[in-house]
Amino acid sequence: MNYDYSLSSPVPGLRFCSVNTEKNFKVAVISARFALPLTGDIAARALLPFLLKRTCKKYPTLTAMNRRLAALYGAMLSAGVNKIGEAQVITFSITSLEDRFALDGENIASDLTDLLLDVLFDPNLTDGAFAEEDIEREKRLLIERIESELNEKRYYALKRCTEIMCENELYALDRYGKIEDIQTIDAARLKKAWNEMLSNAVVFVSAVGSMNAELIRCRFEQRFDKIDRSRINDIHTEFITTPYETHRVKEELPVKQGKLVIGYRAGMTYADDNDAAIKVMADMFGGGVYSKLFTNVREKMSLCYYCSAGFNAAKGLIIVQSGIENENEQKAIDAITDQLNDMKKGNFTAEDLDASLKGLTNLIGSVSDTPESIDRWYANQMLDSEIETPAEYAARIGAITREQVIAAALMVEQDTIYMLAGTLTEEEESDED
Amino acid sequence: MRTEIYNELVDEKYYHIVHPTGLNIYVMPKPGYSGAYAVFGTNYGSIDTKIRSENGETVDIPEGTAHFLEHKLFESEDLDAFARYAKTGASANAFTSFDTTCYLFSCTGDFNASLRILLDFVQSPYFTEQTVAKEQGIIGQEITMYKDVADWEVLFNLLRALYHKHPVRIDIAGTVQSIAAITAETLYDCYRNFYNLNNMALAVSGNVDIDEIEKICDELLKPSEPFLFERKPFDEPDGICRDYIEESLSVAAPIFSLGYKESYGLPKQTLKQKIAVDILMEIIAGSTSPLYNELLEKGLTNTSFGFESFFGFGYGASIFSGESKDPKAAAELIRTRIAELKATGVSQEDFDVIRRKLYGRLIMSYNDVDDIAHTFVNAHFDGEGIFDPLDVFRTITKDDVSEALSHMMRDEFAALSVINPIEQEK
Repeated sequence: MNYDYSLSSPVPGLRFCSVNTEKNFKVAVISARFALPLTGDIAARALLPFLLKRTCKKYPTLTAMNRRLAALYGAMLSAGVNKIGEAQVITFSITSLEDRFALDGENIASDLTDLLLDVLFDPNLTDGAFAEEDIEREKRLLIERIESELNEKRYYALKRCTEIMCENELYALDRYGKIEDIQTIDAARLKKAWNEMLSNAVVFVSAVGSMNAELIRCRFEQRFDKIDRSRINDIHTEFITTPYETHRVKEELPVKQGKLVIGYRAGMTYADDNDAAIKVMADMFGGGVYSKLFTNVREKMSLCYYCSAGFNAAKGLIIVQSGIENENEQKAIDAITDQLNDMKKGNFTAEDLDASLKGLTNLIGSVSDTPESIDRWYANQMLDSEIETPAEYAARIGAITREQVIAAALMVEQDTIYMLAGTLTEEEESDED
Repeated sequence: MRTEIYNELVDEKYYHIVHPTGLNIYVMPKPGYSGAYAVFGTNYGSIDTKIRSENGETVDIPEGTAHFLEHKLFESEDLDAFARYAKTGASANAFTSFDTTCYLFSCTGDFNASLRILLDFVQSPYFTEQTVAKEQGIIGQEITMYKDVADWEVLFNLLRALYHKHPVRIDIAGTVQSIAAITAETLYDCYRNFYNLNNMALAVSGNVDIDEIEKICDELLKPSEPFLFERKPFDEPDGICRDYIEESLSVAAPIFSLGYKESYGLPKQTLKQKIAVDILMEIIAGSTSPLYNELLEKGLTNTSFGFESFFGFGYGASIFSGESKDPKAAAELIRTRIAELKATGVSQEDFDVIRRKLYGRLIMSYNDVDDIAHTFVNAHFDGEGIFDPLDVFRTITKDDVSEALSHMMRDEFAALSVINPIEQEK
């Protein structure tokens, strides 16, 4: 079903988006996102959501807070930090049971709105400051979170490639900031970051479910009443169409499988510039199982288990990832380059294009089947001036032609080849079994 | 025969069809949804390492065969299944677990056309020595990839510490060496044994028409011999193999997994036992528990900490895992607090809080079409209905949870698996 959304701006720089899903779902989502430029005290702002979500004045201990969520039928309060282009986005989100399933007639959505607002506006402060022990605990947790990114080699290699590729752009900065900047965070910096989040961020609040959205909107409006919202940050992302220089970097880790990552510039000059054509092109190149990378590099050449291309429209990047044997590095690079050149030359059939158009419109269609994906769909557009529904985007995708795909492919320029080579061979690991 | 089952609490209904071919079909229509999801699964996974040959003998098959077969079933003499799905726009996949192999797709377009592809390719094996050889390279890379994943290794090492013989201790995909022994003939033999419609289930949820589905099934399902594969109990001793196992990998900090080997008397737990254990694990280590917070405050775990009741045919383990600078101290604290809880017993207040939490989560689980379809298949292979847990939640008491605790998490059956960081230059 295509749900309508309703958008309003009750507070300067804040948009409230609600989607009434009627009685189709068991689950409802309420979320608030705060976007700030990827400059300044990134580390303190990254720590903030994790610290805030753990307690509030009303539920001052971890256990009290978690018991409250459990009592509200296992509602899940999550917090996180990500990047949309060169913006740092702090997310608070609550997923919960729809009101009509409450056993004792409670208004779950209303109770959770109050809880979320308490988390944002009424933290557990002692003499106006965040408690030292809470700060120290969250610093440890955040640093361990960053360090353990090493454990996921696929993600780690992707991140290293992006850092190297964008070394002269803000985008290279970690969404959580630098570890040395986290280590020195104190109560004063956190208080400042908290004020900055509430006063200067671009804010997007979303309510997806059958709840009374008007009530949620009013409560957010009331709480923001006391906040000075006269200076909202401008957020701008730099787009590079032609690489300054091409990098080829090799790093090593004691692992068995190598990870190859190739970063390309998609030729965009602003967010969403020609995004539908690039999306289709990237999908034909390395999206689904019908893509050139899957059918050739995996299926025909048996070089890998995965080889895929992802498109980041907010920064204008296309990134190819594959897990391979070290010795196949050049072979894989050549094969991937050949497939991209085929896209540029138009060496694909009408069926290939049709497979991507169908595959993508199918995926976009399924956005409206979970409240969580509806919430993410609109929130991902929080920095766009115009909001687009899944159906509108699917219509733009469906209209992309062969010529537009070729034109999009011709704009793509290779920037960085990153290889995370494994230093462990099969023989060295034969102590087990 | 088609039966309609309605549940008032979640306000959902589904149809159960026992098809003349022997296949059990479950369909939960979701008229307000855009898309639909289908799973076609067989009760055959990595723990099934023996088959009955055509002359009735029991024969060992190479480790990783179920998974290999899953990869190869997508291929056919002309167009492979992925290429056929490309024409409908459905997003298709498959996976192999310890005790099931499932083929699935999701789509918002022409559901019926995609269902036809699913039913057809799963019933049409086509294996040749060439295509088998080609797959050995791809799966070889899949196996190698998992060897670098600490969360995966820590679990399988734990299972090898807990189990002497039960095949739950072997890797689902096998090893590069074991899959080298797989031939087209092995795949055909396994297919004949396990891909009998009596041994399978089809589940669908989403914006679909039950009559259309039944019509397509009538047309495409091929009659199969009245044969139901039955797992034989594994000859596994009560005790564990060893209480500690470690490996070094490229990780930032040590990863641990503490597991208690469980036995339930029967090869499989009852639904009530499963739910009692879920409640118990939450009481012990969930985010509302003192232990969870103690581990966090003492710096012994971080947000990666989690737990799992891990069970299947003839195996079961209660597992606590996460990242820790001091895995032995973390494990020690968990063991101590569990021993204390065994002495003091479960409190009514804790039980009430957790029952409400898990009740909410259970209702929420009837939301997403993929979750619903997979729950149908798993419930079918366990001899349960998808709404049965709702009844259990209504009647379960604190005493059921105490009863579970009294014979579970026995300290002498615990093992600790640790992945240490490889010493490396930064």
